Amino acid sequence: MSASVDLADFLPAYLAEAEELLGMGHRQLLAMEASIRRGLPHPRAVRELFRAVHTIKGLSAMVDVEPIVDIAHWMETCLRHADRAGGRLPEASVEPLMEGLREIEQRVRQLAAGKQAAPVPPGLLSRLEALDAEGAPGGSAAKAAPAALALEEAVASRLSTAEREQLTTGATDGRRAVRLDFIPGADRAANGITINSVRERVASLGETVKVLPLSGPAAGGGALTFVLLLLTEASDAALLEAAGGPPAAVRPLAVVAPRAPALEPLPESAMADEEPEEARRGGGSLRVDVSRLDEALERLAALVVNRSRLSRAVAALTAAGAPTRELQAILQENARQLRDMRTAILRLRMVRVGDVLERLPLLVRGLRRSTGKSVRLELDVGDAELDKAVADRLLPALVHLVRNAVDHALESPEARRAAGKPEEGVVRVASHGRAGGLLDLTVADDGRGVDARAVAARAGVPVPPTPDALLEVLCRPGFSTRDAANATSGRGMGMDIVQRIIVDQLGGELGMETRPGAGTTFRLRVPLTITLLDALVFECAGLRYAVAVGSVEELVEVDAARLVWPAGAGGVALLERRGDSVPLMGLARLLGRGAADGRGGSVAKALLVRQRGELAAFGVDRLVGQQEIVLRPLEDPLVRVPGVVGATDLGDGRPTLVLDLAALGLARAGGAPHRRMAPIREEGRLA
Amino acid sequence: MADVLVVDDSKVMRDMVVACLRPYPGLTFTHASSGLEAIERLSLQPYDLLVLDLNMPDIGGIEVVEFVRGQDRLRELPIIIVTTRGDDASRTRALAAGASCFMTKPFTPDAILSEVRGLLEGRRA
Repeated sequence: MSASVDLADFLPAYLAEAEELLGMGHRQLLAMEASIRRGLPHPRAVRELFRAVHTIKGLSAMVDVEPIVDIAHWMETCLRHADRAGGRLPEASVEPLMEGLREIEQRVRQLAAGKQAAPVPPGLLSRLEALDAEGAPGGSAAKAAPAALALEEAVASRLSTAEREQLTTGATDGRRAVRLDFIPGADRAANGITINSVRERVASLGETVKVLPLSGPAAGGGALTFVLLLLTEASDAALLEAAGGPPAAVRPLAVVAPRAPALEPLPESAMADEEPEEARRGGGSLRVDVSRLDEALERLAALVVNRSRLSRAVAALTAAGAPTRELQAILQENARQLRDMRTAILRLRMVRVGDVLERLPLLVRGLRRSTGKSVRLELDVGDAELDKAVADRLLPALVHLVRNAVDHALESPEARRAAGKPEEGVVRVASHGRAGGLLDLTVADDGRGVDARAVAARAGVPVPPTPDALLEVLCRPGFSTRDAANATSGRGMGMDIVQRIIVDQLGGELGMETRPGAGTTFRLRVPLTITLLDALVFECAGLRYAVAVGSVEELVEVDAARLVWPAGAGGVALLERRGDSVPLMGLARLLGRGAADGRGGSVAKALLVRQRGELAAFGVDRLVGQQEIVLRPLEDPLVRVPGVVGATDLGDGRPTLVLDLAALGLARAGGAPHRRMAPIREEGRLA
Repeated sequence: MADVLVVDDSKVMRDMVVACLRPYPGLTFTHASSGLEAIERLSLQPYDLLVLDLNMPDIGGIEVVEFVRGQDRLRELPIIIVTTRGDDASRTRALAAGASCFMTKPFTPDAILSEVRGLLEGRRA
């Protein structure tokens, strides 16, 4: 018996989990840095970061990525010291740890791109090692007065000093310290009431300080009790319900005011604030590869196609006089179910805007260092959600706007002071809800505002009279308000890129308001969902077009010498394919762009498409390639043309039509100039 | 037939352990993503083998070992601790608490398989 397992197969799963752990690590490190600046320890963040790094190390060892193992190992050593020092990390440690996370991240990306992970950069380990040599940082470890909690020894002895202190000092502002006893049981587990689900529900009611298993006879005949020690504002009844009702029990932890501590007490907010988000959001979520959702959508599309066949068959039966009333009712029900299922699958693709923006604090932190400006980033996006495909495209635009705000809009601390503003500038990204399938976002700063006159002078145009006109000038390709490129924003503001993403790619809107000296607000409106299409892009009579890959049966080279031109066929040739004849139509001509005679065209390739079950070939000049496109449906009924499903931006800023060739061919076949196509098709089959 | 409880907060790691042990005939696997969940499952139904990560949120592997060894019913349950380089101190503590053996990452599928074989067959003998 030999193990035929290759752990390298786990690489994709490893990469996904590593990315997630790195995201968590970044958040914890930022929380730690915020604490350090306020002179407070942050033991939980230290522990959480340690755990993330430790897990990354172990996983990396399993899939044999030695450089990451090494980096993680040294980070861990440094964090262990901080943990022993009660969650105090010397400020000098933040940067090397940040660098460590970045280096790990870089290697994860390399692996994801199919490359080898680069070796550890020469300086990093020595910097991390140097931190280690400095030894445990100063600062007193938590050493509070003995806390007086109403707990039996079996529980009390298992609390750390910090946890005890949290329970005794955290009961303020209407919060109280309570003990919730949950007794697990097979019947409860069968109903989904397990320690994991209880923990999750309790997490939404308050702060869980500690969970302990206690063995021994328990209420209701159990042999195990989980003791949850909480700080909460919730009522006993709510807590009891969260634990599935009796035999669970709630008891207050009567806190006897501790004697004045001998040492200076640690501020009570040390652990309570800047809690990691995970604690609140809890489990219950699942990471799924987007391609799997797409696969589900494709399967669903097949069902929809099948349904319309079924519906046609029923219509035929009805026409033949068969009793189909019940069948039709079932069909209707089926249509509704398919719609619901589509909605359900699309909802799986939604991501929280808050999650999308979680890298912005890191960006601003970097900008703070590189620009020397004092900046506060405020994120207020609530629980808004977006399709992942939209979110992935939106993020670079937001990064651009935030970067511009810090780099160009915010003044130096001195200039702000001189202008009577607070030294610290504010950049605020907010979402004010959604309506009609659109999400509104604002990116606002309290900087110097856009100087319309300076913009006009630089662009060589008259001073724009309205904010919209000013924005239009700012969004001209290559427009710059700076003479020299700088490290963060490069040359120019790149507003053309923002406009390209928001307006051209996503089909959204971009607006701006600015007040000299007071600040600028960019308003973004984007659709919550977009349709992605795997498309073949080709050229025809000098223009580019796209079609869905799935609609094309085959792509063939056209050998002009082997085409048959039946007389009177109006320029439709016959293409030989596996002994069959397929009518070949020059697409340029169908689109009204080619010569009247198909012979004149330089058709080099043909796309074979099934039209009502029959193959038809559409001649094009050149195949450009295959790519994923964002399909923007043409919503204006006036411009709705049969055969044109929408438009897309291929990245060149020009709209490209997305065609439905089968519909286009049929529409033109029915149209006056090509009335003779149907008989020709028959001729083709006879040949 | 043997029921194995695999405890790790990393799903990838749990999947790897299961993949490594898959060639051993007659094993069924249950996952637990936290030490608390492991203790709950152990209190509700019997298992034949516990594969345990040391480093988890809430309560770690050592506390799980302590809990298991504190139960008469579970005193003989074989426990494999999965550790990482640098865990030396916790390893010693877990051993003292009553762990049966250790696998240090990186380990090969064959290595953990032969440990499991030893533990399960030794117990049966």
